[in-house]
Amino acid sequence: MAVEKIQTDVLVIGSGTAGLAAATYAALEDKQVLILDKGALGRSGSSTGAVQIAGLGDWSHEEDDTERYLEDIYTSGRGLSNPNLAKTLVHDIDQRIQDLIDWGLKLDREGDQVSVSHTSGHSLPRSVSAKKGKAGLGLLHTLRKKVTKDERITTLSDVMTIKLIKSDERVVGALVLELSTNKFFLIQSKATVLATGGAGQLYPITSNPVQSTGDGFSLGLQAGATLIDMEQVQFYPVSIIEPQSIAGLCISFYHNSKLFNNKGERFMKYYAPDTLEDATRDTLSIAIATEISEGRGPIWLDATDVIDQVKKEFSHEYQLCLDRGVDLANKRAQVGPAAHFMMGGVRIDADAKTDVEGLFAAGETAGGLHGGNRLGNNALSECLVFGARAGMNAAKLVDDVTVSILDANPIRINQYGNHRPFEIKQHIQHSMSSYVEVIRKNEGLREALNQLLNVREQLENVQISNPDVYSREIVDYIEAQHMVNTAEAIVRSALERQESRGSHYNTDYPDLTSTIKHNLVRMKNHQFQVQPEEVESSETKR
Amino acid sequence: MKLNVKINRGEHIDQFEVDYQPDMTVLNVLDEIYQHHDPSIAYRYSCRTGLCTTCMMMINGRPDLSCQKTAEPGEDGYLTLAPLPKGKTIRDLIKEY
Ligand SMILES: Cc1cc2nc3c(=O)[nH]c(=O)nc-3n(C[C@H](O)[C@H](O)[C@H](O)COP(=O)(O)OP(=O)(O)OC[C@H]3O[C@@H](n4cnc5c(N)ncnc54)[C@H](O)[C@@H]3O)c2cc1C
Ligand code: FES
Repeated sequence: MAVEKIQTDVLVIGSGTAGLAAATYAALEDKQVLILDKGALGRSGSSTGAVQIAGLGDWSHEEDDTERYLEDIYTSGRGLSNPNLAKTLVHDIDQRIQDLIDWGLKLDREGDQVSVSHTSGHSLPRSVSAKKGKAGLGLLHTLRKKVTKDERITTLSDVMTIKLIKSDERVVGALVLELSTNKFFLIQSKATVLATGGAGQLYPITSNPVQSTGDGFSLGLQAGATLIDMEQVQFYPVSIIEPQSIAGLCISFYHNSKLFNNKGERFMKYYAPDTLEDATRDTLSIAIATEISEGRGPIWLDATDVIDQVKKEFSHEYQLCLDRGVDLANKRAQVGPAAHFMMGGVRIDADAKTDVEGLFAAGETAGGLHGGNRLGNNALSECLVFGARAGMNAAKLVDDVTVSILDANPIRINQYGNHRPFEIKQHIQHSMSSYVEVIRKNEGLREALNQLLNVREQLENVQISNPDVYSREIVDYIEAQHMVNTAEAIVRSALERQESRGSHYNTDYPDLTSTIKHNLVRMKNHQFQVQPEEVESSETKR
Repeated sequence: MKLNVKINRGEHIDQFEVDYQPDMTVLNVLDEIYQHHDPSIAYRYSCRTGLCTTCMMMINGRPDLSCQKTAEPGEDGYLTLAPLPKGKTIRDLIKEY
């Protein structure tokens, strides 16, 4: 069966904040843009859950400026932040937030002042919000309105990207599956932007939506792009563990609350005596995971002293807990680290270009800005700044491309295979949570690699009993293939880093090495290659 | 414990008897059906935290978020699920966006 072809100037894959921004700015350059999403457009990524965005504006603290912001990013990045990306972020963010305001975004206010909050790791209050603490929704609504009104932009929900297509070493489009018809399409594009978000679903407990299965890292790898520092997975330190129905829910007010181990000790005094719970996410995650692994878990969050503030500023989180039987006004909640954010990702330059001609990446799919630890609320800023840059630069590619029509059906449907796709996903999650969590060991990482090899064998023998439209089994099958690639990139990067830096904590190498290196992962002839690269710049070293 | 579930799938209504724990949401019940009863069941969700609204459906006759609503039988002893009446239904509980 021949695959139908669609043509566009710019193809944007993923419609979170980064993808919608890319589509918007590419269309402003008068290009035809096609933006697609495997879920409901503009409603299916991590962006939905974001509370605040960090940045600069006329509301900034009087002592704040680009230099100070940059300094905080470098300190937090543990030497791994790419200075070109960090400088771009602090330089552009003011204008990007202003654009959104011009397009209708209303920042939350206290009286006639924009509310600006403190976030752990930022040396000054720098975080703002919209829609009463739902900044992500605010940005998505504003950008979705912009995108759907623009006649140069075509939007497609429920269209899943299976692979990127190359011709002469250049990405020229993508092969996609329309879930509502089960038809494959070949999208031919002069430029392609990967904005598929993160990979939290590699772990059983995550704050991420169900769509965050790491597709973009796998798509990038297969197209020849370089992944950088994939071992740097951020765990949100204080997330609900029980009840199961809200496991992974981030508790945004942890820095004002108290954490106790099962001995009733406020244990952060041993790990961060100056800041206690107001520590950066890597420090806090490692502290909590250490308490649990040494038998002093479970860990409990006590927010009773600040409950009035919680009810006011974080009413959504308070209500969610209450609805599921945890009244934080008089009860402690069981908490722990949950997979939250991928700091590694597809390597880009300040123009959001990857190493492959025709391919751009932005948002959580791109790597290198945050280094070893992302500062809270810098993810949305990254999406706006690099989403915009990806769109603007993608629009500059004007060379026509041609793609030959594919004939083969790219998905093998076997109703009698042995492994259900959702079980394969669970196997990946089990391996990652057993061996590639907050605390890692060489032996465990090697075991994870072995288990992922088994998963690849299982993927050769998958049972798909429902080949009809909107088959969750087909979605799970495609996602499992992306997940195993992304998982392997993380594990191989983790094995390469023989030190503990940022969110990568290996008890076999608990110290920092004197030479700071990035880990670069590539795929050549279906084989993974990991190459360390020394950090040249001395600016970021702390 | 068991929960009886009826799902309006357009041309027919299917019934399931599902293992059930009291803190389960409607979405947890749908996952249980997909994994252990009928792999063809189609439903949409994303954030699981009541923000994206893509998991909205008719639950015991009223529109609600399946990720937030505790799974409970209605007056007839069944948890009854159906797609939202407005807009095009792609399959089972999935609306077009
Ligand atoms: C609960 C939560 C709270 C957070 N809070 C904050 C905060 O307060 N401040 C902050 O700055 N950051 C926060 N973050 C992080 C931040 O929200 C994300 O990093 C950011 O929104 C990612 O945006 P994105 O556009 O890169 O990707 P996403 O918003 O994740 O969007 C990616 C999109 O790509 C689609 N997609 C994926 N794969 C494919 C494929 N193969 N084909 C087609 N489409 C595909 C997905 O369906 C999705 O819609 C939070 C994250 C979570 C999960
Ligand atoms: S899954 Fe997002 S609101 Fe229910």
